Amino acid sequence: MNPGASWGWLIWPPLLVAGLLLVLPQAGFIAMSLHPSLGYGRMGDAWTLVNYTHVLTDPAYLSAIGLTLGLSAAATAIGVVVGCPAAYLLARMHSRLASGFIAMLLATSFVTVVIKVLGLSLVLGREGIANHVLLSLHIVSAPVQLINNDLGVLIGLVQYTLPVQVLLLIGVIQTIPRRLEEAAEINGAHFLSMLRRVIWPLSRPGVVSAALVAFDMDMGAFTSAAMLGGGRVLTLPVLIERTIMIDVDYATGAALSTVLMVIVFALNLAAVPLLRTKRRPA
Amino acid sequence: MRIVPWRLARSVPLWLVLASMFVFLLAPIAAIFSASLQREQNFYYTLWPHDVSLVWYLSIPAKYWRALGISLLVAAIAASLTVGLGGLAALALVRGRLIGAATLNAFFRVPLQIPFVVTGVVFLQFYDRAADLGPDLLGSITGLVLAHLFVTLPYGVSAIAVILVRIGPRYEEAAQICGCSRSAAFFRVALPLLKPGVFPGFFYAFIVSFGDVPVAIFLTDENTTTLPVAIFQSLQFDFEPALLALSTVVIVLSVALILAVQKLAGLDMVVPSQRR
Repeated sequence: MNPGASWGWLIWPPLLVAGLLLVLPQAGFIAMSLHPSLGYGRMGDAWTLVNYTHVLTDPAYLSAIGLTLGLSAAATAIGVVVGCPAAYLLARMHSRLASGFIAMLLATSFVTVVIKVLGLSLVLGREGIANHVLLSLHIVSAPVQLINNDLGVLIGLVQYTLPVQVLLLIGVIQTIPRRLEEAAEINGAHFLSMLRRVIWPLSRPGVVSAALVAFDMDMGAFTSAAMLGGGRVLTLPVLIERTIMIDVDYATGAALSTVLMVIVFALNLAAVPLLRTKRRPA
Repeated sequence: MRIVPWRLARSVPLWLVLASMFVFLLAPIAAIFSASLQREQNFYYTLWPHDVSLVWYLSIPAKYWRALGISLLVAAIAASLTVGLGGLAALALVRGRLIGAATLNAFFRVPLQIPFVVTGVVFLQFYDRAADLGPDLLGSITGLVLAHLFVTLPYGVSAIAVILVRIGPRYEEAAQICGCSRSAAFFRVALPLLKPGVFPGFFYAFIVSFGDVPVAIFLTDENTTTLPVAIFQSLQFDFEPALLALSTVVIVLSVALILAVQKLAGLDMVVPSQRR
């Protein structure tokens, strides 16, 4: 008797649903990117790669790809630089205190993105709180443009992914036994060299994987980029939406979407070697 | 002790980083709360409103309450389907001796690699085509639920699979040895033990569906606008101050929901599972 056999058939309902929702729409979609656009949402019947050559040679599209990559990388890097120390402190502090902070992190990461972005637009606006504080501390002499530009989008992306990154990093640090730190300390290691030689090598795969999660989220981020860019910052997700909804150019929109997915997928594949723990010879 | 002074000193910069991070993360939420209480909506906002009033709370237009209702409805259906179908998939993947279980597992995770905006576009053209053959799903609640289910199903599968692996079959075996029938052992022993997977799976799916803009913006029309899409459009076209009040209500509701899930399933269970 095979005890697993009776459980196996349960796969069929979810598999059928997931299959129908993935394969049918995607197949039609990729096919769409391979037909010429006749304008006003109509498509030609011929098969062609013209949409891809168009997307990959037009400097406007190339700069959108570069902008999306640059902003995502910057937001991820800020997340790592701020997230690692914050997560280390949260993982090592008294657990009752930590759970209060973690509840706040969860609250901020689960509040609907569009509401957080609405709040950010109040904070960062010309008459907003951020400019208010900067002016009254005499850091700047005139209100700074913090919104409707690349900087606004960057701040929005950090706001979107930082709590997730910190939550993932807390889990990474918690798996490193505190005894290892104490051992390094007893053997005379300075705090910074302990961090560099004990914590960093052990946490690196986790840090890379948390960074990848954030990077993927940033590459696909639509709401924060669209609302804080004010229509001026054209990252790929914003460009895709505008191409479909305003230009009604399905073929180019589909080609842009495929390009975005391929870039994200390739970068994730390229990062796989970084996810393994490097073992130094003893 | 010798180490105490530098131990304290080394934690000062860490605390500074932590404090500034929380100021940054909580500022937008505080700003919404403060601005929602301000009678005069002139885009001049300070840390505390200058003329406190509840006028915006009392004048939230009916269409935004309707949008909130649609969002809650879509999220509840999508999340229920997510844990239902995700639970079946998890049971089969963990317990069934399936051929190619690893491939199937990877297949269920594919949606995680697709940016939301792409999912929105993909379903838009799919419904557009399907309308020639059968029901018009564009601008319908069903259409939006299906697209959200596509996005959230992986969370349901992984949240429940993790717990299934952790509890193993031994409790059910013990129940069966004690004379319990196979189905009773599953429904009365295993199912209650699965709660720490079911609640977070439902919660996460609900949150993702409830907060979604980039999928819903393609699939909704004026009759099925969800609250996030309404807020998004309001900020793009003409700003509606009552939305600040409604957003505050939503923030309070989500914090209450988080606290409830924490009580039901424990804190660590709510941390979003790594998306790979």
